[in-house]
Amino acid sequence: MTAALHIEDLTIRTGDRVLVSGFSAAVGRGAPLTLLGESGSGKSLVAQAIMGTLPPGVAAQGRILLDGTDLLRLGPAARRALWGRRIGLLPQEPWTALDPTMRAEGQLAEVHRYVHGRRDAGRAAAAGLGEVGLADAARHYPFQMSGGMCQRLALAVAHAAGTPLLLADEPSKGLDGALRADLVARLRREVEAGRLLLTITHDVGLARALGGTACVMLDGRAVESGPTARLLDAPAHAYTRALIAADPAAWPARPPGEPGPPVIAGTGLSKAFGRRRLFADLTVEIRAGEILALAGPSGSGKTTLGNILVGTERPDRGAVRRAPGAAPVRFQKLYQDPPAAFVPHQTMGQALDHLARRHALDPARIAHLLARLKLPANLRKQRPGELSGGELQRFALARVLLLDPVFLFADEATSRLDPLNQREVAEILREASARDGLAVLFVTHDADLAGKIADRSIALR
Amino acid sequence: MMLQMQGLAGPDRPAATAWPLSRRIGLGLLALLAAFALLGPLLVDADPARQDLSASLAPIGSDFLLGADHYGRSLLARLAHGARLSFGMALLTMLSAAVPGLLLGVLAAWRGGVAERALVALSDIVLALPGLLLVLILLAFAPGHFLPLYLGLSLALWVEFFRVARTTTARLLVEPRIEAARLLGFGTPYILRHQVLPEIAPLLLTLAAFAMGTAILAISTLSAISVGLQPPTPELGSMIVELLPYYAEAPLAVLMPGLLIFLLVLGLQLTARGGTVR
Repeated sequence: MTAALHIEDLTIRTGDRVLVSGFSAAVGRGAPLTLLGESGSGKSLVAQAIMGTLPPGVAAQGRILLDGTDLLRLGPAARRALWGRRIGLLPQEPWTALDPTMRAEGQLAEVHRYVHGRRDAGRAAAAGLGEVGLADAARHYPFQMSGGMCQRLALAVAHAAGTPLLLADEPSKGLDGALRADLVARLRREVEAGRLLLTITHDVGLARALGGTACVMLDGRAVESGPTARLLDAPAHAYTRALIAADPAAWPARPPGEPGPPVIAGTGLSKAFGRRRLFADLTVEIRAGEILALAGPSGSGKTTLGNILVGTERPDRGAVRRAPGAAPVRFQKLYQDPPAAFVPHQTMGQALDHLARRHALDPARIAHLLARLKLPANLRKQRPGELSGGELQRFALARVLLLDPVFLFADEATSRLDPLNQREVAEILREASARDGLAVLFVTHDADLAGKIADRSIALR
Repeated sequence: MMLQMQGLAGPDRPAATAWPLSRRIGLGLLALLAAFALLGPLLVDADPARQDLSASLAPIGSDFLLGADHYGRSLLARLAHGARLSFGMALLTMLSAAVPGLLLGVLAAWRGGVAERALVALSDIVLALPGLLLVLILLAFAPGHFLPLYLGLSLALWVEFFRVARTTTARLLVEPRIEAARLLGFGTPYILRHQVLPEIAPLLLTLAAFAMGTAILAISTLSAISVGLQPPTPELGSMIVELLPYYAEAPLAVLMPGLLIFLLVLGLQLTARGGTVR
């Protein structure tokens, strides 16, 4: 195999701290490489070192050879010149990487016009959009498109650039089953066209679908690497096994329970935004100790339905009936993006203290709950920005569970967490539901997850 | 100005940039000038209005530390009093623009509806008038008096505070953390105190420095064209104009009030820059 991208003994450090140590890997034509690992394992830093976008104060040593040129020896200007011509990046959150002031066709056309210098850029862009099924959205701005559409537009742009090396950073994040299969097919096509593909993900299923070689990273080191299929079928390292076991498809099924009386019920709910009707005459009931999974494509009104039940939005028609005698604070919500639900300048300890003061909570109970959720006491001094997504989501859970909730609306609460953290948060929810009779509305687009966590599922549209 | 404000309202502004070098230099400069303005009149025993025609245009270092003007009044005393006047008026003007601006802005974003539309319309009307024109209209009622000058400046300056407070609050109110705080049982006062104010405060500090700079320049400008404060009040702008005919004999006496205005505004601008430049 003639590998065209060689990473040799790459070490990334900031000050005295070593973030990635002695990382070596190779990507060949037709043999994509997938870096697997949880957030904070250093896999994104490897991609940033290849791009040359490491944050200030973070330095890389070693060699990164792209077709014989050592990228780390090049100056910043020379490296920038490679972007979009030799190295392409499919960013993690496509909608933040797209130009918010430019329509879809314009974003694609400018690649043809300025990178390739084509005169018929408009026609090429229209063809490219049609190819990813966005022909109808050509005149849309990014904010008018769903996450999946933005992802496909970013892919079309990356495809149009036609760089020999394509880096994909968590490309399946936030995509539902059908969109993910579509993404895999498109990435496979790029590989077959002879482009070098390096994918960064914590999605074991995506790694398996892409094939090639895989490398599992933990704390800045490659703990195991090899052909993807063999690595995932016969993992040698304990961490690889844990990562595979954390994939929802591999979870044990939830034992059937006996649901209690209804906690919350919506009857005849209708909601529309302007002329777009989300749902009409919808009836939903959740019982104590029951987990109801709510599935549906993005934009189908899953979050709106949950918000109506938890009381932060009003339905156009219909009524929500809550269990009598339960205080309003016992109806709670978990958010998709954990940092967004915390005040950035407040330490976790302050946030908990304020909550304890507001509701006269017992400090011993808080300490006990934090220990149960594996949140060490020293995290109390940290601010939300210094915690990982998994830790923050567990803090959010602790905050909510302290109020003895009877109903919890978990809005894609695990979709931004890596598999190990996702599994932990899901376990806590299952436990709270079985032990305390918590009724949960669990919004997810992951069919495997829905099947494993919930007692029953409903799908919107 | 508005664009600048929205740019620095980004969610992930690192805390380390809250006190960059420019802001520290600016605050240091302001502290020195404030000490001069506050302590100067106490330490220098001279009356800024006492004339000694025999010492007309006395040079620096004679009986008078910084020399004397054409009426033989101590320039040191006049400069210290002038600095105190400019500083004090700017501070007062800024406060009476910032407090209503902030309160109305938060109120507009919070209540929405008719209240918001009425307040926005009012602020747009004020914004459409040139600030100095507004001050001149009010000064026409009582030329040379302090009150209309102060009222006019405050009326012109509150709009910026209002607009920044309103857009920032409106942006915050749709964030999940406010919804989360409500669900967790926290009331409006808590959310305002712990979630809205800490986000607006750094922006207001920047705006406040700009507003004070604007006020100082406006007061000096208006006094220099003899519609603001009138002689013999030791006002920096009118001092320049009074001394201008004697530029050939005592150039430093003319330049010193100007230098003081420059340093005051520079200190304020540097303080404001700290919040805008990363």
